[in-house]
Amino acid sequence: MSEGSTQIRVELSRGEFSLDVSLSWDARVAVIFGPSGSGKSTLLEAVLGLAPSARAQIRMGGVWLEDDARGLRLRSEQRRLGWVPQDALLFPHLSVAQNLAFASGRSAPPAAGSALARAIEALEIGDLLGRRAHELSGGERQRVAIARALASRPRALLLDEPLASLDLPLRARVLRHLLRMRDELEIPILWITHDPDEAQVAGEIAIVMERGRLVAAGPPREVLWSRAVLPLSEALGLENVIDGRVVETGAHECSVETARGLRLVLPVALPIGERVCLSLRAHDVLLSADPPGRVSARNVLPARVERIEIESGDARVTLDAGERLVARLTTGAVERLGLRPGSQVHALIKAQALRRIA
Amino acid sequence: MSAAEIAEITGLTLRVGAVATAAILLPGVATGLLLARRSFRGKALVQALIALPMVLPPVAVGLALLLLLGRRGPLGPLWSALGIELVFSWWAAAIAAAVVGFPLLARACEQAFAAVDPGYERLARTLGLSPLRAFLRVTLPLASRGVIYGALLAFTRALGEFGATALVAGILPGRTETLALGIYARVQLGEDAGALALCAVSFAIALASMLIAETWLRSSEAGR
Repeated sequence: MSEGSTQIRVELSRGEFSLDVSLSWDARVAVIFGPSGSGKSTLLEAVLGLAPSARAQIRMGGVWLEDDARGLRLRSEQRRLGWVPQDALLFPHLSVAQNLAFASGRSAPPAAGSALARAIEALEIGDLLGRRAHELSGGERQRVAIARALASRPRALLLDEPLASLDLPLRARVLRHLLRMRDELEIPILWITHDPDEAQVAGEIAIVMERGRLVAAGPPREVLWSRAVLPLSEALGLENVIDGRVVETGAHECSVETARGLRLVLPVALPIGERVCLSLRAHDVLLSADPPGRVSARNVLPARVERIEIESGDARVTLDAGERLVARLTTGAVERLGLRPGSQVHALIKAQALRRIA
Repeated sequence: MSAAEIAEITGLTLRVGAVATAAILLPGVATGLLLARRSFRGKALVQALIALPMVLPPVAVGLALLLLLGRRGPLGPLWSALGIELVFSWWAAAIAAAVVGFPLLARACEQAFAAVDPGYERLARTLGLSPLRAFLRVTLPLASRGVIYGALLAFTRALGEFGATALVAGILPGRTETLALGIYARVQLGEDAGALALCAVSFAIALASMLIAETWLRSSEAGR
């Protein structure tokens, strides 16, 4: 096991609920993914030293924070972990600047090049410093909370559902800020989410939890699609995630090409060469047995049916269209089109159905 | 009744109120915090006991204090050994005021602390603050409105205290005669003019306290 590796083992029970998780990883950025109530936030509390009844072994950023076997237990204030809670928890009696200076105890403007100054710049919150928490939008609050955590020069950053309280359009913007922040930092990051789109792009490793137990862990692209996790990720909204690069752009749309040559049209103009990650709900994919004539859908992709799974009147059709795609149809539609593994079809996707997640 | 007399009675009343409020401030805040943040066995009983002086007849509270503080009470030997005479001194008036004011302060503090999300304090801990410093820099400022309001309530309650004070401190002109006691004594003696003068002073002090409390509440509301 390498020096910088992270190790977490936590046992805890609260009434009906029990948490029992043990794992270690080397990646810098890890995502903990699971539905609400799976124990993600409780695990985070234990890591932060805020769950007194937990029995735990925790090593982060190259330092043992807790080891019940050795009787070691650093107090929360000694752990130097930057916590960004779901609801930001900006101190309401202080200005943004005072919130940021809270950890250092200094009220003078941050020195140029300091950790705080860099965080303020990267998160674009320089104009907000004089405001109070209640004068900020949800996205601004989250960004200030992240800057505050970084200002304390933490040995690791813990993000608890950083986008959950934001509405959809804002989410994509804040996510871009977060990803940039993530790439600039060198400390380990633990990123909690129940959003499979977010889990796909946020970390190098995804740790999946359900009902207080570990379900799977590994590279997100493999883990979230694995047999054990797929029903969960699908229930939470993961169906199609497509990576690509902008190859052509117009006034109101652009074309994205994936590594395996699939081309898709998006309803936004983006600079050529920009990397994008798109998500697509399976019920937004239409199938046609014959080549369609003139249709409004901007994306008509020849595809081959790989697999058909029927579950409670619903058919889940896995396609190879250059990239793997999942479509959801009624069983009646599958019969009417006479679909079976190997059938050649055309997948129709409206440009608007493609959502950019990063 | 002379102006000097009125000034003396007013001064003593304010001193009794201020000393009583100052004495219960820390225990009141601590009790409020304990009740707001901890759950323990018998909590309801503790809450009821704390509220007791608020609902008991003040004269009954006074009698209990007389027993506790008097030379013939269970703590009598202690007072004798220390050589202090509490009963019928202005200290006794302050103690009576503190006892009846305490539930008001503790209650107000409990509500004020219960309204502050404990997450703020937890977050302050992760930013490197000890539990005490996190409380002083986050929870206390956020609850300060309620705490100060509770202190003002206890103070005004002290100014008007009569029953318990009369029993344990007596009505000794120049020594234990507060506004409320002075009004009663003058009515008994048929000195209506003097009673009315003291009433006017009581009215002015009570109005001023409540005005301060309300204005302060409003201004800190605007600052939120």
